[in-house]
Formats: sequence, C-alpha cells, structure tokens
Amino acid sequence: MSPAVAIVLTAGLTATACGLLGPLLVLRREALVGDAVSHSVLPGIVLVHLVLGTRATLPVIVGAAAFGVVCVLALEALRSTGLVRADAAIALVFPALFSLGLLGVDRWAADIHLDLDSTIYGQIAFVPFRTLVLGAVAVPQSVVAIGAVALVDLLLLVAFWKQVKVATFDPGFARTTGVDPTVVARVLLTAVAATAVTAFEAVGAIVVIALLVVPAATAHLLTDRLGVMIAVSVAVGWVAAVSGYAGAVALDASIGGAMGVVATCCFVLALLLSPQHGVLTRALRRRQRVRAAGRAAAGRGTAAVPPTPLRRPGTCAAGGSCRPAGGRWRPGTLALPCARAAGTGALPPRTAAGAGGCTTRLAQASAPGRRSR
Amino acid sequence: MDALIDALPLPYTDAVVATGAAVLGLLAGLVGVLAVLRRRTLVGDALSHAALPGVAVAFLLAGVKDTVSLLVGAAVAGTLAAVLVLALERSSRVRPDTAIGVVLSGSFSLGIVLLTHIAATGDAGQAGLQDYLFGQAAGLVQADVTLFAALAAGTVVVLALLHRPLTVVLFDAAFARSTGLPIRLLELVSTVLLVVAVVVGLRTVGAILMVAMIVVPAVAARQVTGRLATMLVVAGVVGAAVGTAGSLLSTATRTPTGPVVVLLGAGVVLLALSLAPGRGVLWHARRLRRDRRRRQREGVLVDVAAAGPAPVAASALGAGRPSRAVRRTLRRLRRDGLVRATGAGWSLTAAGQGAATAVLARRELWWAWLEHGAEVAVGDAREPDPDDLAGSLGAEAVERLRALGGTAPAVAGGAR
Amino acid sequence: MSAADARPPALEVRGLTVSYGRRPVLADVDATVPAGTLSAVVGPNGAGKSTLLQAALGLLPADSGRTLVEGRPARAALDRVAYVPQRDAVDWDFPITVREVVEMGRYRAAGWFRRVRRSERPVVDESLDRVGMTAFAGRQISQLSGGQRQRVFLARALAQQAPLLVMDEPFAGVDARTEAALLDVLTAVRDEGRSVVVVHHDLGTVRARFDHALLLNVRAVACGPVAEALTPANLRRAYGAAGVPGGAAGREEEPAWTR
Repeated sequence: MSPAVAIVLTAGLTATACGLLGPLLVLRREALVGDAVSHSVLPGIVLVHLVLGTRATLPVIVGAAAFGVVCVLALEALRSTGLVRADAAIALVFPALFSLGLLGVDRWAADIHLDLDSTIYGQIAFVPFRTLVLGAVAVPQSVVAIGAVALVDLLLLVAFWKQVKVATFDPGFARTTGVDPTVVARVLLTAVAATAVTAFEAVGAIVVIALLVVPAATAHLLTDRLGVMIAVSVAVGWVAAVSGYAGAVALDASIGGAMGVVATCCFVLALLLSPQHGVLTRALRRRQRVRAAGRAAAGRGTAAVPPTPLRRPGTCAAGGSCRPAGGRWRPGTLALPCARAAGTGALPPRTAAGAGGCTTRLAQASAPGRRSR
Repeated sequence: MDALIDALPLPYTDAVVATGAAVLGLLAGLVGVLAVLRRRTLVGDALSHAALPGVAVAFLLAGVKDTVSLLVGAAVAGTLAAVLVLALERSSRVRPDTAIGVVLSGSFSLGIVLLTHIAATGDAGQAGLQDYLFGQAAGLVQADVTLFAALAAGTVVVLALLHRPLTVVLFDAAFARSTGLPIRLLELVSTVLLVVAVVVGLRTVGAILMVAMIVVPAVAARQVTGRLATMLVVAGVVGAAVGTAGSLLSTATRTPTGPVVVLLGAGVVLLALSLAPGRGVLWHARRLRRDRRRRQREGVLVDVAAAGPAPVAASALGAGRPSRAVRRTLRRLRRDGLVRATGAGWSLTAAGQGAATAVLARRELWWAWLEHGAEVAVGDAREPDPDDLAGSLGAEAVERLRALGGTAPAVAGGAR
Repeated sequence: MSAADARPPALEVRGLTVSYGRRPVLADVDATVPAGTLSAVVGPNGAGKSTLLQAALGLLPADSGRTLVEGRPARAALDRVAYVPQRDAVDWDFPITVREVVEMGRYRAAGWFRRVRRSERPVVDESLDRVGMTAFAGRQISQLSGGQRQRVFLARALAQQAPLLVMDEPFAGVDARTEAALLDVLTAVRDEGRSVVVVHHDLGTVRARFDHALLLNVRAVACGPVAEALTPANLRRAYGAAGVPGGAAGREEEPAWTR
C-alpha cells in the first residue's frame, strides 16, 4: 500500500466514522462534544504511560477513551444540576481535565518528551510507517483501527436507528414508547468518545473535531432527510480527505489542516448556495418576489404592496375568528380584509349559520356534532 | 503597578507572574460574566483557536516575530471569528454550537496550514509561533502586566458606563429593542471586550486554558448572587483571587502556572455549585429530602388518624407509598412520641392526635384557598405557602378563608 | 358510550398526589375516564392538568396514588396508550418528513430493531388520510403551519392504534378550522369504541363536543358526564367566582357574575 493511499484511506475511514455520528451531534446541539473530548483524554494517556509505562496504541486508546467517557459523564452531571448551561459546562470540564493532563505530563512524563502536538494527538503523515501484517500484506495499523470503529458505528446506527431518531426528534414521545432518551444520549456520546479517541491517535485531534462538525453542518444545510444527511456528511468527509491530501502535498503544508480547510470550504459553499437554506439563494428568491410584486402592482396601477398582511390571518377586527379572504391588503382598505369585511370569499357554512357578524369561538363550537347524550 | 510588584515579598519574576495572573483573572472574570450570561462562553474557545491564523498572517505580513503585530493579528482574527459565529447563527439554520464548532475547526485548520506552510518555506524566524497556543506564564514581563492592567481598567470603565443597557440587553433582548437600545452596538462592544481579554490571555495561560478563566469566575459568582452588578464584582474578585493563588501555588510546587490556575478555578466552581446557599446541589438535595420526609410523615399521621381509634397495621397505611418508607416514617413518629405500637398495630398518642388535627386543619385551609382564593383580598401579589397560609397571606386573609370554608374533595357523577 | 359499557375504565386515578418542591401540584386526585368516551380535563391555569396526564401515565414520579389503564398499572400498560405531549420539546429543524413522523407511531408495534415493514404502510396511509395530511406526506416538518403540525402528531397517535388516546392541549395555537377538524377525528375515534382524553380550556367546546369531563384545580373538583360535572357551582369552585372563562359557565343557566 503506497503512503498516499494509506493516508487517504485512513482519513476517509475517519471521515466515515465521524460522518456517521456528526449529524446526530449537530442535531442534538452537542456539536462541541468532540472538541471537549479531544482535550479531556490527556490525563488518560498520561495515566497509561505512568501505570503501564507504554505508549503502545491499544492501551493508550483504552486509557484515553476512559477519560473521554469521564468527560461526557461530567458534562451530563453538570447540566443535570440545572445550575450551569450546556456551553458553560463544556467550558468548565475540558480545560480542567486538560490541565490535569498537563500537570501529569509535567510531573511524570517530561522525561520522554511527549510532544503534545504530534505524539499524543497523532500526525496523519506518520500513518504509513506503522503497519500491521495481515495475512501477507502490511496494512497500516490506523486503517485497521479506524475501519473497525467505523464499522461498529455503522452497526450501532443501523441497529438503534429508530431509537436514535425518536429520542432526538421528540424526547417526550420517546419516553411514552418506552425509549429512555438519556440512555440513548449516553450510548451515542460514548460512541463519539471512542471514535474520537481512536481517530486522534491516528490523524490528530483537529481533523476529528473538524470532521465531526463541519460535514454534518454542511449536510444539514442541504437536505431534509436524516438518512440523506448522514450520507452527504460522509461524502463531504471523503471529499475533504482526498482533496485535502492533494492540497497539502501541493502546498507542502499539514495534511490534517488542509482537510479541515477543504471541509470548511464545502460548508461555505453550502451556506451560500444550498437550494433551500442558502444565504444567496434565499436573497435571490426574495428579490424575485419583490420584483414580481412590484410588477404586479405596477400593472394594477397602484403602489407596491407590503407582502405581509398587517394582521395575523384568522383574526379580524371584530375579535372573532374568521378566515382571511385571498386578496392582499391594499391601500385604502382599513383593516385586513377578512372574509366578512371584504364581502367576498365564502365563510365556512357553520359559522355563517351563526348570528350575523364574526361568530365567536363559542358559537362555532356548539355547531351540530354528536352530542354526548 | 511597579510599586505593587516591588512591594510583594516575592522574587521579582514570581511577583510579576503573580500580579499578571491576578490582573488577568480580574479581566477574564468581568468579561466572563457577559459571556456566560449570553451563553457565549465557547465563543472564547472559537476565537482563541481563530487567533492562530491571525498570528500566522501577521507574521507573514510583518516578516518578524514582533509581539505587537502578532497580538494585533490575533485580535483581528479573533474579532472576525466572533462576528462570523454571530452571523452564522442569524443567517441560516445553523445552530449556535454548530456555528462555533465550524468556525473553531475551520480557522484552526487554516492556521495550521499557514504555519506548516511557513515552516516548510524555510523561514527560520517562525519558530515559536505555536507557543501562542500554549501558555508560558513564566515568560511574562512587566510590560505585559501593565498592558493587562490598562485593559482591565478600561473594561471596568466600559462596564460601569454600560451597566444598565447591558443588563437590559442580557436579560430581555426583545424588550431592549423595543426601547430603542442599539442592540447590535452593545453586542459588538461586549464581543470586543471578550476578544481583547482572550487575546491578551493567550500569552499568560494559553488559548485552551483561557476558556476556563472566562467561565470559572462567572459561574462561581452566579451561584452566590442574583444581581448583575454584584456578580460582576464577585467574578472580578474570584478571578483575581484564583489567578493569584494559582500562580503562588505553582511557584511553591514548581509546576506550570496555567494548569494549576485552571484546576484551582475548577475546584472553586465545584465548591460553589455544591455549597451555594439556597441553590447549591447539596443544599437542594437536603431540602428535597426534608420535604419528602415531611410529606411522608404527614401522610402517615393522617392515615393513622383516619383509621380511627383502633390500632392499624403498617401494611394498611400509605396507599401507593413503598411500605419500607411507611415503616421508617412510623419509627420516626414513634421516636417523636406521636404514635405508639401495640401488638395489634399502630395508634396515635395524644400528641399525635394533635399533630394530625393540625395537618388536617392546614389542608382544610388550603382547600378553602383553592376554592375561594379569588374572593379573598390579599392586598398585593403575595402567593400562598400551602404549609403556612397565615404566614404567607396574613392572619386577616386566613380568618376570611376560615369563614368561607372549604368543601372536602368530592367527585360528582358517582364515580367514587 | 353507554352505561352498558362493561369494560374497565380506560383510565383510573386513585389518590394521586404530586408535588414540585413543597408546592402540591396535584392533591389526592381521584378520577375515572370510562371506556369509549371523549373526555376533557379542564381547569384554570396551574391546575395541574398536564401534570395529571404525565403522572397518570407514569412519566412523572408521583408522591402517592396509583393509576390504572384498562385496569392494569399504567407503567405496564403504556403500549395501550397513545400520548400526544405538548410540543415544546420537539426539534422542528430535525430532518424528518411528515410520513416518517407518523411511522414513528408504528415503531413499538413493528419492533424497534426491524425496518418498517410494507404491511405497516396501510396504517400510516390511513392515519395520514384521516387528518387530511396525505398531500403533505413528503414535507419536512418545519415547513408546516402550527395546525398542520398538530394534525401530524394526531396522525402519529392514530397510527399507534392504541385503545386510549391522551392529548395535552392539542388545540393551543391552532386555528379554528383545524380545531374543528381535529375534533371530528377524535369524535370518530370515540365512535370506534376507543377512549380519548384531552386537556382543553375552551368550556364551550367541551360542553358541545365532549361526553365526560374532569374539572381540576389541584384536586378533583368534579368528574363525570359533562352536564353533571360542569355545573355553575362546580365551575365556581374550580375557577373562583370571578374566574370562570368567557361566560362559559353557561349562558342559559345562570350568568357567572350573578352568583
């Protein structure tokens, strides 16, 4: 396996794992959990080094994942006190855990010169050099590790698809159908912590944070289906992996950084041009509407009309409830033309039967219908 | 400032670091209050990461590692990032946390690309640019401390001047807009204050740990006061105290300053969260337990009373309550001399009879309030306390309620 | 819904007491919802109407008391209930279509770990059709009006095919036309022999369309057939003399303010 293929494959698998979970984080307003976890795992790594005296991949991942889970639980505990808001909870937990790790490095690990940037948090450029022999071929360790994690994430998502969907969309309903939203949240965040930690070790923290949030945010701007959103998010991650690598080689710059930049570019494009939610597309649509309205007004020989009615539909001056007539408010009429005032448009038969004028809610409600007895 | 540093009974460098940490704590505490109340603590996180490309670009433009131009670069990039986060939130369906996440990872990635690109192009002068992300408080010099002090003084002045409009905007932005306050401008002012504090903080405790310095004093202060003005003062004091104590502790133990300050701050927050009077976790738990016990106690008393003079078995008491709780409550009541156990079961003592009557009378009064509350003139917006109507509503209102009388709960339609 | 309905009550609450802190929100509430009725829970603001529903279904811890759904403890009978909560916890931006929301009603019955089967489709289609949302099945939920959203949640509850339908303030923020349409659906559901419980505060509608009412103000003031439960005297006891809403104490009988 050539170095380039190994790097792109590792990055792409990371993008897959992150792209599967990221959309759920974004939808649950927990987009910054990846950032929090990435800083919180340091004490775990130091602890493993201290107790086992090793920097081998597997024990480090386990130790780091343990502290990732500690971070997630601490966040939940802080939030459950009701005294601290979600953002402040994150800002309290991860600096504290990170500081704990820094002190540990200072006290016990200084002799081995743990370089925080690359050794602990991985450097994707080193991926091809650490291989594992599977059968007859040498496969980079990280491809195996991240591939396994991505597979587990996929299986989890497929197995618990309905629970995740219900608990995220409507927690109140979930509870009545026997799904506990807090359990779902805990499983999801644990999966995020494990994924993030495995990926840090191989590709570096910043790549993971970027791939958890940015592709998912991009996808959220592009689609209204959860399944599609996840697929788009994975795809954007792969685009970032492939073109990020190419860009980094061309610029002679950090591969991880370049991937983050490419992902962000995708996000900016979606933000501007998304067919439904894009900033530019919406501005364009608004302008077309205003122009069309202006043309129509000019055709009728009146001034341009305000596009929104002055009153909420369904109310009228008399205080009852009636339906607005189709027409727009025009200068000259006093109030929003409700069906009665304008003298056009049919009233619902039931209300029309009531005593003249706008019928009240009460009268309308006592319309024919099955009486109780 | 110089006089203060000289007056401290510490070696010169330590005195500089301690003073610097104190002033920074004060500054971060003040702006942190705004950030925490606006739920923007992590904007600090985003813009401290965003400072990295700012530093890189400033270096590219200036060509040398000059503190002032690097700081300016960081500040400009930070402000840009903060404004971007705000714009993203408003423009589209991007949520606040996602906006922060995107700006944070996007700008940091850009910074890394720029830095690695600079390094690869072989400019020897670039070494050490990354240090802007990890603090080096020991490298603090007196000029930095003077700069912090000036900024802190400026922040105090701005906050003192804008205290009222800021309170309105923070509490109720819609109302603020209706009164014609320039909301955008006030938001910009508080954002700039935050950016400036974070950028100078980068050098002292490092970008990541700066986040903690912003959030710790404000959260701790919120637990002990409910007023913005007091909160600002308390947060400033807590920030300064944590900074000083942390730096002194780190000098004494020969450990890095930043992490010690942060951990100390985390400890302070934990203490405040658990012990804050009327609000803290422990206090709250105690109150919950007391209320639960009291309810159980009254429930069992009334049940025993309702069973009449004959002794009643514990298993027949407390419909719906777990029987272990009933037994425990009975033991407590016996300890207090309100019930006695006989071979046949439990019955009330004379004191217990009195207590049960009092509970029933109180309930009766509460029913009367629910039914006739609207007819009783209370005079102001006082709300009834079900356990102490006389105390919460006044004796006169209670007299009137007694006269009106409550009807015992009854169910029409023969369902019962 | 006749006296001959020998089924156990759809919902039965005995001695239910719930407190938030020291304040009792519900005190010793007894109530019965006979099977096959369209029942309303009415009462002034803060009377504990939503709390009653949640505690009755075991979604909120109660201090004491018990609830039975069709004669069985509520927690064990949740599959017999379709509950439409108030809508504040719903994430409107969630990428989900109307049809998918309604399909959620089938998740429990169809199995949590299986795909929604083809055989479930008719149920979903029919539920959508009954609330008139078939044409909107492919829309994302945030593109709907308040009334349309409420129709979708009713469709989801219908898809659950539960014998008891419980709705918390389904008509809040809903236009009059939708309210009438939803009430027609609920009446039809009742006519199929199912039971419906609705928190509502329009006494006029309750008198006109409902069979049974629980008048609540922290404790149960009255519970029974609408005509017996919502008497002027009972309404005064629940709302206070001045508080009976909109003269709804009944214009024919006695204006509320004469006392």
